[in-house]
This record gives sequence, structure tokens and C-alpha cells, in this order.
Amino acid sequence: MERMRSLFYPRCVAVIGASDSPGKIGYNILYSLIYGGFKGKIYPVNPRIKTVLGMRVYSSVNEIPDRIDLALIGVNKNAAVEAIEQCGRLGTKGVICIAGGFRETGDEGLALEKKLVEVTKKYDIKLVGPNTLGIINTEASLDATFYPLRLNTGGVSIIAQSGGIGLQIIKKLTDEGLGFNKWIAVGNRSVLEIADYLEYLSDDAGTKVIGIFLEGVDDARRLVQVASEVARRKPVVVYKVGQSDVVNYAAITHTGSMAGSHRLFRDIFNQFGILLVESVPELVAACKALLLCPPAAGGRVGMYTYTAGPSITALDRLAERKIDIPEFRAETVFKIKSLLGENPLAVLKNPLDSAGVGNLAETYGKLAMTVLEDPNVDILATFCCVHKNWRNPTPELVDAARKIRKPILACYISTLQESEEDRKILQSAGIPLYNSPEEVAWGVAALAYYAAREGACGEGRFDY
Amino acid sequence: MKVDLIISKARADGRELLMEDEAKEIISSLGIPVTHCLVARDEKEALLQAEKIGYPVVLKVRSPKIVHKSDYKGVVLDIKNKKELRAAYREITFRAAVLDGEAAVTVQAMAAKGLETLIGATVNKQFGPVIAFGLGGVFTEIVNDVSFRLAPVDPGEAGRMISQIKGCRLLQGYRGSPAVDTGALAEAISRVSNLVFEYKEFAEIDLNPVAAYPDGVLVLDARMRLKIGEMPANTR
Repeated sequence: MERMRSLFYPRCVAVIGASDSPGKIGYNILYSLIYGGFKGKIYPVNPRIKTVLGMRVYSSVNEIPDRIDLALIGVNKNAAVEAIEQCGRLGTKGVICIAGGFRETGDEGLALEKKLVEVTKKYDIKLVGPNTLGIINTEASLDATFYPLRLNTGGVSIIAQSGGIGLQIIKKLTDEGLGFNKWIAVGNRSVLEIADYLEYLSDDAGTKVIGIFLEGVDDARRLVQVASEVARRKPVVVYKVGQSDVVNYAAITHTGSMAGSHRLFRDIFNQFGILLVESVPELVAACKALLLCPPAAGGRVGMYTYTAGPSITALDRLAERKIDIPEFRAETVFKIKSLLGENPLAVLKNPLDSAGVGNLAETYGKLAMTVLEDPNVDILATFCCVHKNWRNPTPELVDAARKIRKPILACYISTLQESEEDRKILQSAGIPLYNSPEEVAWGVAALAYYAAREGACGEGRFDY
Repeated sequence: MKVDLIISKARADGRELLMEDEAKEIISSLGIPVTHCLVARDEKEALLQAEKIGYPVVLKVRSPKIVHKSDYKGVVLDIKNKKELRAAYREITFRAAVLDGEAAVTVQAMAAKGLETLIGATVNKQFGPVIAFGLGGVFTEIVNDVSFRLAPVDPGEAGRMISQIKGCRLLQGYRGSPAVDTGALAEAISRVSNLVFEYKEFAEIDLNPVAAYPDGVLVLDARMRLKIGEMPANTR
């Protein structure tokens, strides 16, 4: 764990193969470190240049006057193995090998990768990659990728088996008004496996929720066992790609076509209580709800809206996931009538649709509160459409969240920009704001899943 | 112990595929009821075995060269007397002769009609031993209604495999048909999952059909395949 820590919290970082040409990876690794605001020492290494970005360049790692905690390897695959050997001799604990061209390219690459693994074993080096975008730790302002980013810190950590999808998740989290904590593109997983990162994040104080993008792993048995253990402490959400792929599944009947791998994955992940989602937006929606909301006591959802479509859309998504939409208690219906009159133009069942009478913020707040207070309801999903002349019910929802400790998820139909202020206010009060009914349903489903999970994670993930 | 012996014998013969009688012996040793197979190498022996079991009986081809017995019309059900048995024996051995001139037969009791299910196990490249449950027969082939778990599973988890499949309502009794013994089914699933988990030699286990009754289950057919070219069992 100490060695894993040096990957994420290094004091001194060497960039091996730092370049002065902005088109090159070696330049952008260095640039990303600086742009991201890394506070530790940075040592560029390249025997062919003297300075880059105003920094002195060392001709070899041996010249560096400090002990290097983390080496970012920006040189090509052949030079990389030699460079890692040099780092190992100097006692470097953490290495990120960006270069590709290993086992993914055939036998020659595989042989080189074996050599790489031997070197890391010899010096007990924790190696990320090879063939990776790198890692990010916002808590240490460490952007150890070749994508210069400036990012807010937050409670979600991401393990991605693809740099590209990993970036997509970052962008979506940012759009959703969330920062993130640690981000790892695992690359070829020659030394560190997904389960190793999971174990590290399990003990990482800054990580409250873990999102994983998965293509496929060699030891899926260990992965589900570790993920299941970790999910007892903090929520784990997995997006597994390759749903149509039949991965070497030996057929168990003579028809030879019994099952695709996705069904197998889905059943087994479920067996181990690991939430499986179907897309990046769902992954982010789920992480968001699990991060911001207090844990749900149960999975029963109450809904409030004044426009039917969004609630029906959400119902569809919830029904697919077998989420319970309970009847309201009689006293709830009574309360609604006392607010709206005996025969209001409204649908007085769950989802409560106040149609033409519940659009103004004050009434909206009272009706949402009434649904939230119903003892049959564990989670409230509430919908509104942002309007030029009508105030949003943001203060009312914040007030409801303060009074009753049940998850509230809001869906404002609007552009990202239109609801930016409301998003900040609601989300600081523990109410995730979504801009589509599908996303609100995915958030609800994630909370319901963890409420039903045996040995679910408890309190303590409220702050973000 | 019995499992090790059967595996060793198959290895010694250079076979990856276990005979139905061998596979059923293994299943039976787990305490799961099977229709026992009595092997017969000629017509006279077949008649004797049928006498022992009592009519009606089932006759199945027995050959290491024939994996899918039904595909070669190597199964005759509901044989009621000696005359039918003789005819069935001649038919089966005649058809099998194309593939295996030395094919034998097994004689088995004709089981009462139950609800057909399947219990399968396979060793997945990524997950290792995996257990599967579904409705047997046409349901398997058309509806693809199967649930999976990482092996081993306890009977509780096996019960969740049963309730997960779409066809579960058929098992719970539907339009006058009685509910079947899902407890016994769950117990059988759990035991097969332990088998595939403990004996690393198995590549694939296919119990299909497993007849489910209101009181218990009965394995009517069983196939087992070993991993290719591994040493005799000593892996417990």
C-alpha cells in the first residue's frame, strides 16, 4: 500500500523522455504535470535537450539529485524497459509506462512485456500500464497523463480500462457539477490489476464512491470477490462493455449457443452485490446519487411532477430495474387534497402529477414534501421544467432535505447552463440535480440497489 | 474417491468424455437421484438388464465416439416388453455401427413425466468454474432462459438462480400442474457447483434433463467432459 501511495502522492516526479515538441507525448506529460498545478518537484529527463518549458533537463535519471517517487515514462517501448530498470536501481517505487506496443501487438510485444514485468518484480515496482493514458489524483493536483487538465476534487474515483472512456467519464462528471478524486487508466495491467487499484481505493479516505469501466479481465473471479468486499465499505458501480460479445463461453448444451458473456457477467456481478450499469451516463448518474444522497432505508420510490412525460419516462427505466413504486398512504392523499382542494386537476397517486396546479415553487415545495413524508416512500424523485417567469423550487427542496433525511433526486428539464446555479445549491445540500428523467431514474435505481444489498455501506459518504 | 477413480479410468483410456453411466455414478455419489444405467454389450444381456429393472425401460447407445446420443437416434424411450426391446436394440446398434462397431447400450428405467430442467457447469476463461440452471428441452433452445453463478453456490443462492429465470412460474405450479420441489433442485444445483469447484479436472458438466417432481428430482441424462490432456485426478 505504501508503494501504491507513492503512485498517487509522489513528492518528486521524473518525466523520462520529456520533449520540447508540443506534438509529442513526452512534452505533454510534462506540460500536464505543470498545468495541473503539481506542487512537488518535477525532473525532466532527456539526453538530447538542455531545457524545456523553462526547466532544466537532466541527461539521465542518475543525475537527479533527489530520490524519485514516481517516474513517468514517455519514451518508446524499447527504451522504456531500460529506463524502468534504471529507476529501479535508484529505488523508485512507482512507474507509469505510457508507451504501447506490448502484448497487444503480438509475440514480439509480448516478449518485451514479459521483460518489463521481470524488471518490476526485481525492484518491487508498482507499474501502471503499459499502454496507458496514466493516472490523476486531484487531491495532490497530480495530472500524470498526457492530457493537460485542471480539475476539481471530489468524492468519486474512477478506474477505466480505456483512456478514452475514462476521459468521457471525467467530462460527464464535470458537466454534472462533480469533481473526482483518483482516476486510473489501467492499460495492459501487466503488473497492477483492476482489483489492486480497487483495494487501494477501498482504504483511500478521499474516495467515497468508485466507478469502473470494464472491458474484460483475466481474473474476473478475484475482481468480483474484491469488488464485493469493497462494496461493503463504499459503493462500487461497474459499466461492463461488450454486451454482444460471446467470450469463449463453452456452451453447456449441445446447441452450442446457450449464453453470451454479458448474461454471465450480469448474473455473477449481481451474485456478488456489485451494481452493473449499461452506459457512461448511467455510471455517472449512479455515482452522483450514491455520492450526494444520504443512504436510502429502502428501495420504494415516490415521485412528484406537474408534467406527465418525464415521470412516465422515469417509470419505464425504473420498471426495467424492478424498482418498487408504492401506493401513497391515505393520509398523504388527504394532505394533498387539503393543499389542492377536494377535486383538483391532478393525478392523486404515485407518481403524483399536479398537472396545472402545482407548478409554482411554493405549492411545488409543499407537494414534494408531502410525498417525501409518506412512510411508504424511501426515495423522492421530483421533476420540473425550468421556466422564464416561474421561480425554480430549489429553496423548497433544500428545505425538505434539511428536514427529512431521505434521498431526494431532482430533475430539472433545462440546458446545463440554465440550471447551473440551482445545481450548485441543490448538490451542496445533498440533492443531485439531473437534466433528464432517465438520469434521475438511474440515480434512484443505484440508491435502491444499495439499500437492498446485504452488508451495504453505511453513513459517511454525504460530503463531496 | 469414486470421482477420482472414474476420472483416472477415463484418462487411462485417453478419453475426455465420460460415459453416461460414469457421469451418473458421480452424480449419484453426491446424493442426487439418477436413473441408473445398466450396461449391456449384447442383446441377451440387454434383455437380462431390462428384466432386472422392470419394464418400461429406456435404451441408449453407449460409445465414446457418440457424444450426442439423440442426434444419432441412439435413444429409444418407453420400451414395454421383450419384443420391443429386441427391436430397439437392433435399431440402435445398427445405426451406431457406422461410427462405432463396438458400441454397447445402457438400459435404464423409464422415468415418470416431470418438469424438465437442466443443471450445467462450465469452466469459464475469466471466472473459472461457473454453474448454470434453466428449464430443459425446448425452453433451453428457444427461450434461452438460463441463470448463472460463480461456483460454488449454497442452496440459498441456488434458490435465487431458480427464482430468477423467467420460467420460474412453471416450477411454482401453473394452471393445474403441481409445484415442483425447488428445495431439492436447489440442493442439487449446489452440490454440482461444489463438484465443479473442487475437482479442477472438469471442463463441462451437463445434466439435461433433470426431471423435477413435486417431491424430489431425478437426473435422466448426464454428460461430463474433462479438461484436455491433464493428469489423472489428484487435485482435491
